[in-house]
Amino acid sequence: MRVLEPWVAAPLTEFLGESGARVALVMTSAGQVIAQHGFTRSLDVMSAAALGAGILATTDELAHILDARTGFGAVVHQGVRQGVWLAGFDTPRGRWIALVVFGPESSIGLVRLFFARFAEQIARAAPPLVPAREVLAEGFERELDQSLRALFGAS
Amino acid sequence: MNTSQWHDALRELTGVTGVLGALIVSADDGLVVAETAMDELATADVAALAAAVVSRAGRCTDAMRAGVPSSLHLAAEQGALLAMAGPPPLWLVAVARHDAELGRLRLLLRDFAGALR
Repeated sequence: MRVLEPWVAAPLTEFLGESGARVALVMTSAGQVIAQHGFTRSLDVMSAAALGAGILATTDELAHILDARTGFGAVVHQGVRQGVWLAGFDTPRGRWIALVVFGPESSIGLVRLFFARFAEQIARAAPPLVPAREVLAEGFERELDQSLRALFGAS
Repeated sequence: MNTSQWHDALRELTGVTGVLGALIVSADDGLVVAETAMDELATADVAALAAAVVSRAGRCTDAMRAGVPSSLHLAAEQGALLAMAGPPPLWLVAVARHDAELGRLRLLLRDFAGALR
């Protein structure tokens, strides 16, 4: 597991253990990756984040067109060998998105159940928001490198 | 049995003394297909977890070379969960208090589960 925000690790670990999910990706609604588990290539993570955020944005717009005021809770793609659960949830840091891949050892029901608990734990665990620092040109590359290492490792 | 009859059966099950809710669960995805339950019963959570128990029980009976499970009885201090296999992937599940008429409930579950088609 790789996390950009360390306080996300414990709730995500519990969620993965309880739900039996294989892969999880937590990101902001803009597609910035917060945490990931199960991906082996950074390219896959970035692609999945961009596609997941796009799917949810599309679904939200569809809900708007259909006048579904509360939106749709989650998008589920159920395949023969694995399924994908994609849902947004509100955190003190704004709206985040989780993309979860699960196999036959889990189910939509289990992912739904423990995802709700995960979202609650994230909301409780989030530390107070620190005002964003001004990003200086000389520190930008170093900070970007640190974030990438946190998410994808040293390679 | 059509869906209207499903609900009739679920209502009859919840009419048994001490039964808090009855639901038809899709064991493949852990979702509720139909339900009749008291408000305080978290049926979606029960369905998800009952389906997980059924799945594990299936692995157990497979290891025992005993075929697929046909029923489950989970007894707890304050209540019980009874589940009876219907046509795959459906299971008929009832949640009851510990002092419920479990014998009658079991008979009804068996009859209705067999008719879930």
